[in-house]
Amino acid sequence: MKRRTLLAVLALALAAGPAPSVAQQKPAIGVSLPQDDNPFYIAMLRGIRARAAELGFDVITVSSQEDKAKQINGVQDLIARGVKGILISPIDAVGVNAAYDAAAAAKVPIISVARASTSPNQLLHVAMDERQIGRDIGAYIAKAIGGKGKVAIIAGPPGSPTFKNLSDGIKESFAKHSAVQVVFDQFGALTRERGLKLAEDALVANPDLAAIYAANDDVALGASQAVVAAGRKGKVLVTGMNGIPPALRAVQDGSLAMTVELNPVDWGRLGVDVLAGYLKGEKYKQQVFIKHVLIDSKNIGDKMPKK
Amino acid sequence: MRRDFLVGQIPLITLIVLGVVIAVLTPRFLSPLNLSNVLVQAAVITVIAMGMTFVIIGGGFDLSVGSVVALSGCVCAMVMMEAGIAAGVAAGVAVGALVGLANGLIVTVLKVNPFITTLGTMVLVRGVVFLLTGSQQVPIDQSLPQPFIDFGIERLLGIHYLVWVPVALLFALSWVLARTPYGRSVYATGGNREAAYFSGIRVDRVVASTYVWCGALAGVAGVMLASRLQSGQPTAGEFYELTAIAAVVLGGAALHGGEGKLYKSVIGVFIMVILGNGLNLLNVDSYWQRVAIGAVIILAAAADRLRARRG
Repeated sequence: MKRRTLLAVLALALAAGPAPSVAQQKPAIGVSLPQDDNPFYIAMLRGIRARAAELGFDVITVSSQEDKAKQINGVQDLIARGVKGILISPIDAVGVNAAYDAAAAAKVPIISVARASTSPNQLLHVAMDERQIGRDIGAYIAKAIGGKGKVAIIAGPPGSPTFKNLSDGIKESFAKHSAVQVVFDQFGALTRERGLKLAEDALVANPDLAAIYAANDDVALGASQAVVAAGRKGKVLVTGMNGIPPALRAVQDGSLAMTVELNPVDWGRLGVDVLAGYLKGEKYKQQVFIKHVLIDSKNIGDKMPKK
Repeated sequence: MRRDFLVGQIPLITLIVLGVVIAVLTPRFLSPLNLSNVLVQAAVITVIAMGMTFVIIGGGFDLSVGSVVALSGCVCAMVMMEAGIAAGVAAGVAVGALVGLANGLIVTVLKVNPFITTLGTMVLVRGVVFLLTGSQQVPIDQSLPQPFIDFGIERLLGIHYLVWVPVALLFALSWVLARTPYGRSVYATGGNREAAYFSGIRVDRVVASTYVWCGALAGVAGVMLASRLQSGQPTAGEFYELTAIAAVVLGGAALHGGEGKLYKSVIGVFIMVILGNGLNLLNVDSYWQRVAIGAVIILAAAADRLRARRG
């Protein structure tokens, strides 16, 4: 304990910078992410830092590298350093609940970003609206095929709530179009080979297939490969999700009709906004949703990474 | 005599019956597009199953092949981006053979049970793949060289290049197993290790060599899959070991060693692939697909045991 306090003091001194005399003490928010070398979280942290600077907060980060004990310790360190609030993306839904308990005991608000916890002390969750994304994908497909036609669903792995919510949302949209018919409904691992194989079989079983919904970009890239190989590029539209670079290139060359971008930078910014609002006394629902963007041939130009 | 011959052909009969049933239920099964899909879908797993047949005839077992497929595919793609197609392909196959050599040495020198050894390398190699690639596909923002991608798409005499690879390997390796002294020593070692030892066969070397074959062939399969997927995928090949082992057993190889034929393992592969393809064409629920595939594996293996008891 003593050692940790000492460390905290030392860290504070370091954080204050080389010229502590001019350091006007800004309020700080603490950030604990599951990984610090993953592009997704790097981008999220960039968003957090940018928005925090605009709102006049300092940002203190602790790293956890997918180690639950490390994440719990890190949050305790953040509390010891007197942060005003904490943004956390918990390593899993249960394993780091002790971190939430510690924050609640110290009366420090703690908000989950992206990944969520089951802890009753989780103040709220800044999430993606899986069901709504599903509805939007469903509506996009229905519109693109003119409100009628056969559709194949290649969903994500069974048992994952995210992919169930997505499929449910899609089917909800399809239900509004009686002429849109789901003729193939399989799930599987989120890999390119799975998408390729299932799409090959779906195309054989349904020579008049109009569209394939794929659970994520890897699956979609496999499926679009099958469509191209069957000589039906342009006749069977394929949608993905996540907006990874190879998928963006596929949207650009037309082999993929659409993917959904979940912008981690915006996710981080929204986390800071919600935390700042909460500190000012604003009220939020249990979940706050980030915006998602459908990327297709119309807006792909703005989304391609600059060379 | 004639009954024995028929009983020996249970895998082939199963395959034909399965094909007829599916063709009756869905005529599209026999469409040229689907038949060419089935051949390509079977090509990669066939190469793995042939390597697995070597190991199983020699009395061993290899769970690491699925991870090796991912490793060699990713290494192949990485080296290819730096040093060209030939170097990439060679590196992919070589890294597979190296993992096989490691398996063989652990089994023969350290005397660790093959099941445990290859369970270990299966997990370890998959970890290495994720470390090597940062769990992202290779290459992430470029394409592999066009000739390598074309190899995964183009055909020779109406049949995909990817299918010619296992065809050529089947002839070459069947010759090795059936006609060379080395091949006979593999059967002898797997059939009765002590007898093989006392007849002057260096059994440890033979056993280790079967793992090298298996690793190298998994490496070939990894390169083929990279060509088909137009990238090295760190998640590639998951559960391939189970499909390959099931196929080899369906083909009538004995898990205690000494028995098995490459062409029969290929028949086993086609039973697995056609079953999965047929169930997809019929849009059978994914959960029921698993039930059906599991049941077929058990039934075929049970039929085979029945034959062994009678014989």
